[in-house]
Amino acid sequence: MTEADSDHADVALAAAGDHDAFERLYRRHVARVTSLARWMLDAGEADDAVQEVFIRVWQKLHTFAGQSAFGTWLHRVAVNLFLRRRQALGLARKRHTADEEPLLSIAGPVDRPDLRVAIERAVDLLPRGAREVFVLHDMEGYKHEEIAQMLEVDAGTSRSQLHRARLLLRQQLAT
Amino acid sequence: MSDQFTQQLSAYLDGELAAPARARLDAHLSGCAECPALLADLRAIVAAAPHYPGRAPERDLWQGIEARLEGAVVVPIARNSPRAAQPSGRRFGWTQLIAASLVMTAVGGGAAWLALRHAPQPPGLVALPPAEVKTVAFADARYDAAVRDLEQVLAAGRGKLDTATVRTVEESLRKIDTAIAEARAAIQRDPSNAYLSRQIAANMRRKLNLLRVAANAIAART
Repeated sequence: MTEADSDHADVALAAAGDHDAFERLYRRHVARVTSLARWMLDAGEADDAVQEVFIRVWQKLHTFAGQSAFGTWLHRVAVNLFLRRRQALGLARKRHTADEEPLLSIAGPVDRPDLRVAIERAVDLLPRGAREVFVLHDMEGYKHEEIAQMLEVDAGTSRSQLHRARLLLRQQLAT
Repeated sequence: MSDQFTQQLSAYLDGELAAPARARLDAHLSGCAECPALLADLRAIVAAAPHYPGRAPERDLWQGIEARLEGAVVVPIARNSPRAAQPSGRRFGWTQLIAASLVMTAVGGGAAWLALRHAPQPPGLVALPPAEVKTVAFADARYDAAVRDLEQVLAAGRGKLDTATVRTVEESLRKIDTAIAEARAAIQRDPSNAYLSRQIAANMRRKLNLLRVAANAIAART
């Protein structure tokens, strides 16, 4: 059984009130949701926000129609919730004005076997604005226009931050 | 390497460059010693990025989550209303379904259908007016009709679900039916037992939710 099949079966059970099935969903997905929370919120907020995500998902399970993968749906719920928390905490705008340090010379290459793990760690080191756009665009699949709306920047800023993030990641991965 | 072209590599990679600019960059790439390597690296990063493994929280959050689950049960809220009329061609009774999926709170020999507050609606469901409380018998005809409709949907569409899911759903339904039957038998002997009433109500709700999720999954594959 694939992870998607397991998710599907456990969603059905959890929607019927089965805590064990929901715990299995939690265990399969908590690591990625936690990373997402750490990238989008201050570190001290992450655990509480992750708990809130899973409570919210439990409440909304009956609305999951299975048209996308459960993980995709879960991450959409998480991103929306993190954005609301950011707004409440006043984090939304300042992150996009405080990270204009110059881009260092580009290094490369990034050919390495543990690239997925290495990228995840390197993302931690990105300036906040570049990190958020990279996470939303390249990791979570949002479009620039969506990101612009979510982060209250224009789409051009989102594009330039993305390019900057990719170059910085390449630099970090090559060192 | 040229800054002019370097700045365009992400847009190139994302398919966002207009045709003339793309052609110019293609021409540059064929003659540049460094840009192709940079492009390959960026492509590798973009390809790997969605597959990040994630890092578990430093402490297990599950207990804190589980402790809040029971208090967090939310189901779609509705009441019977002319506004909840179904679009033609819908295969089963959403209005009945939604009405029947309200939280049930046991009250003596019946159940209160407690409408709490607006909850996000599944795609395709009609918008519903504010909630209200209704008292109905356990053998409420709307509940029975909703379950019957959904069981028909499940029977007709089970081939659209993978066998493991069908097996899980059917086993769960059997367990829930058994629990309902046992609690009903017990309450015949002890009609004022509020615990048994709550168990029956909770299991009826579980059955309906489970059927609805299965029906949604079938509809998504139709």
